[in-house]
Amino acid sequence: MSNALYILLCSGEHEKIQMAGMMASVAAVSERPVEVFVSMNALLAFANGMQPAERYHGGEFSEVMCAKNAPDAIKLFQSGKEFGDLKMWACSMALDVKGWEMSHLEKDLFDGPGGLTKFLSDAENGQLITV
Amino acid sequence: MSERTTIDARGAFCPGPLMELIAALKMRQIGDEVEVLSSDKGSVTDIPEWCKKVKHECISVDEKTGYWSVLVRKAK
Repeated sequence: MSNALYILLCSGEHEKIQMAGMMASVAAVSERPVEVFVSMNALLAFANGMQPAERYHGGEFSEVMCAKNAPDAIKLFQSGKEFGDLKMWACSMALDVKGWEMSHLEKDLFDGPGGLTKFLSDAENGQLITV
Repeated sequence: MSERTTIDARGAFCPGPLMELIAALKMRQIGDEVEVLSSDKGSVTDIPEWCKKVKHECISVDEKTGYWSVLVRKAK
């Protein structure tokens, strides 16, 4: 078993997206390969060109994090890609259902559309976390 | 000759100070030192642990008034 970390991100809650971004970026900069598969409501938060207030929806911690300028979740994923081995996949089913192309998503963040079968198969060789 | 730079990451929340350190280290030469000023309590344990894991050298962690100074030497 490798030490790779696989994160299946489905929730559209800001707090969960933030935690996924923290885990992904910290693991990646700690020389751990990371792959993130983004699906369901989580995908909506990765639409390009949105302001944080529009992008993130959550509970009390979401409000506090926005008010206190906690690191932006999207930027955390970007940092993981810049400084480590982090790959991100947009769920092809979610894209199809929404009628979205990759151009609907934040630029230079995703490595492509991906299928769940391949992701789960790859994840058998590492640690899988579902958020 | 090695150089020392200081990053003022006070007010940044986890993992902000660590990310700022990594960005700074990337631009430095081996042997250079980067001091991170952080008010994030997690930095006190997180930065030394990160250094240990990726083989940089954490030289010191000093508590100041309301923040910490963490000194790191780029080792690779």
